[in-house]
Amino acid sequence: MLRHLFKLIWNKKKAHSLLMVEIWASFMVLFGVLSLIVYNVRNYVEPIGFDYEDRWILNLSNNQDTLAVGDKVASIYQRLNQYAEVEEVTRTGSNTPFSMNTMNNSVSYKDAKVLTNFYPVDENYAQTMNLPVTAGRWFNKADAVSKHEAIVINDAAREKLFGAENPIGKLVKRDDKLYWRVVGIVDNFKAKGEFMSDEPGLFTFIKDKNAWEKEFILKVKPGTDANFEAKLVKDIAGMVKDWNVEVTYMTDSRKNQHSLTLVPVVIFLVICSFLLVNVALGLFGILNLNIAKRRDEIGLRRAMGATEKAVTRQFLGEIWVLATISMLLGLLFAVQFPLLNVFDIEGGIYLVAMALAMGVVYLIVTLCAWYPSQQASRIHPAVALHEE
Amino acid sequence: MILNYIKIAWKVLLRHPFYTFITLFGISLTLTVLMVLTSFLDHLFGTHYPEGKRDRSLYITRMMQMDTTQNGRNMGPVSFNFLRDYAKTLKTPERVGISTMMGFANTYINGKRIKLNTKYTDADFWYVTDFQFLEGKPYNEQNIANGENVVVITDDLRKQYFEDSDGSVVGKYIDIENIKYRVIGVTKGSPATRPYTYSDVYFPYTAPKSNYQSEGLRGMYVGIVLAKDKADIPAIQEEFNSAVSRISLPRTENGFKFHTIKVGANTYLDDFLGNFLQGEETRRTIFFSIIGFIMLMIMGLPAINLVNVNVSRILERASEIGVRKSFGAPSRALLWQFIIENIFITFIGGLVALLLSFLIILLINTSGWIAYADLTINFNVFAVSMGVCLVFGLLSGVLPAMRMSKMKIVDALKA
Repeated sequence: MLRHLFKLIWNKKKAHSLLMVEIWASFMVLFGVLSLIVYNVRNYVEPIGFDYEDRWILNLSNNQDTLAVGDKVASIYQRLNQYAEVEEVTRTGSNTPFSMNTMNNSVSYKDAKVLTNFYPVDENYAQTMNLPVTAGRWFNKADAVSKHEAIVINDAAREKLFGAENPIGKLVKRDDKLYWRVVGIVDNFKAKGEFMSDEPGLFTFIKDKNAWEKEFILKVKPGTDANFEAKLVKDIAGMVKDWNVEVTYMTDSRKNQHSLTLVPVVIFLVICSFLLVNVALGLFGILNLNIAKRRDEIGLRRAMGATEKAVTRQFLGEIWVLATISMLLGLLFAVQFPLLNVFDIEGGIYLVAMALAMGVVYLIVTLCAWYPSQQASRIHPAVALHEE
Repeated sequence: MILNYIKIAWKVLLRHPFYTFITLFGISLTLTVLMVLTSFLDHLFGTHYPEGKRDRSLYITRMMQMDTTQNGRNMGPVSFNFLRDYAKTLKTPERVGISTMMGFANTYINGKRIKLNTKYTDADFWYVTDFQFLEGKPYNEQNIANGENVVVITDDLRKQYFEDSDGSVVGKYIDIENIKYRVIGVTKGSPATRPYTYSDVYFPYTAPKSNYQSEGLRGMYVGIVLAKDKADIPAIQEEFNSAVSRISLPRTENGFKFHTIKVGANTYLDDFLGNFLQGEETRRTIFFSIIGFIMLMIMGLPAINLVNVNVSRILERASEIGVRKSFGAPSRALLWQFIIENIFITFIGGLVALLLSFLIILLINTSGWIAYADLTINFNVFAVSMGVCLVFGLLSGVLPAMRMSKMKIVDALKA
């Protein structure tokens, strides 16, 4: 049967070559768009690891004021803790969750060297963000004076650096002069939002009088409104003249991060679906015409005793074989992406995208061939042969 | 004669509405996507409000400092002092405007928060751009020298902050982070896609928190260099480069020692591409090949489709060709008929595309997706893409028809 279908297609290879190019191109476009979607969906289903509702970020910048910055930040910290509306406060670096700032560098343990995100935080961070510690402990005040600075790593960093080893108490190398001691592990931490992949990350400890890290995350009581925010900004701005004091809601920054991911996906999806509709309509038209041209052949088959089902199956089979050949060609191209590791994406994502793209193409060709094949099977042998 | 061909074409179109729909859908879809895409590119890179002089402006927006011994590099906007000493002093340009990159602030009114984008500028900034003032005027050198706390706000912010005031808001005060500023002018806002002019509120650079005093070469500022004439651009770039080359190196800034610096006055497109791509010569090529590839993909699939449908359908016309030939029509006449038919259907598709593009662009402009969006249809692009569609139409419709017109009459009639 399959061999027969191949022969039928081969006999009309010229006419079919254009059709094959079309299916091939659709497959490639679909593969591209689906890779993007699969990548994002896969990231999305991974838990983000922390809470962001009712978290505010207070952002300070000292501008031209360079006098005792560390002390001023410390007194702001104290002031923040006194508000009744504020449940928890923590001090962090500028790469707060969902912000556009990134800080990364490579660290190593034995032979493993990993590019890792650095998050400067303090002892209240895990509590404020509701970030559960799965092994070891979070920072405490005593870490400020330990010989090797303490760090907490996330699970992705643990896996890449330590593999099966237990990392607690081990020293991680930053550079020749600087070693850090791992004191705890947290699970997922996707700081750029749900669509970020769970990248390796580590938390470093901010010392008290440090003048660099000037961001605070506040966990406010649910329902706290802009009136309190205005009061807060006024109070803090009163304490440090000439500083910038800015409050952002984590939910807002999260939305921004999301649209950065979603807008391109939606644009590609819209263009892709228009292209596919176009292709589907064309395919339907072409198959319709092709089958109309083969009336006598169908008439002959029916006269020789082929059932309606058999005729339908023949035409569907032909288009499936055609689609398979074109997609094998497409797979040759598509498989280069995981092989050459283009875009540094996990190979599994490409495989899923390939499978999905093949599924969609089969679905489209089947839908397009269904009606014409049905029509073909209903041709009455006597009528068809009479025309001849 | 042509009228006759068009009549025939019309009848052919009506004979199989479904196939006509496929063809028209393909043509108009392709054209629409192309037009919306190019109009968006034009929105990003073309010369539009408030940068109405962008075609003769150069942008100094970032400096790269390199430590050649350890391969370290720092990059970012430049300082006010750098621009004052090395850009403002240039002889060839007409004027040099200075402003900060985007900053943020919040203001609170009636228990409501308004998020603000802020910019600190000098007086020449208002000269090199052409902001349209709805009320009042921009601040001048005098306001700046006096260190007055005045601001220019956009109409959008005016609506949010001074909600119901009908009269002029010039002279009223706006409270931003605990400092009261007097509104001196209200201007029509700029789209967020123009980062060097977009803001909600504009402060003179002597206002608090502008950091214009920073020592060093890097800072928060960017410069817009306005040439007297487009032709002066290479001369200005040369003058700027030679001014920069006089800076004594190596220097140390914020604890970072660097031996070389790289800073250029670039046209807007070059400046934009510099955000993503290094290497001055190659980046234009890379950019245009990416755009070209996307266009090819978008045009490619519908084109293959069009060719496919047309080639499959040509047999339908065999009997018609046979009849015409048997009545003595020469091959040339037949060819003309098919050419005109194709032009006709391409034009109908183009018309639909024009309509669709207008609708989509209107939708983008009014949806608030980009505030102050001012997308327009570029008719040059429309003409070119119509041409491309025509070529595909001719290739797919006329070539097979030509082969068909050379068919023996008997065969044609029989088919």
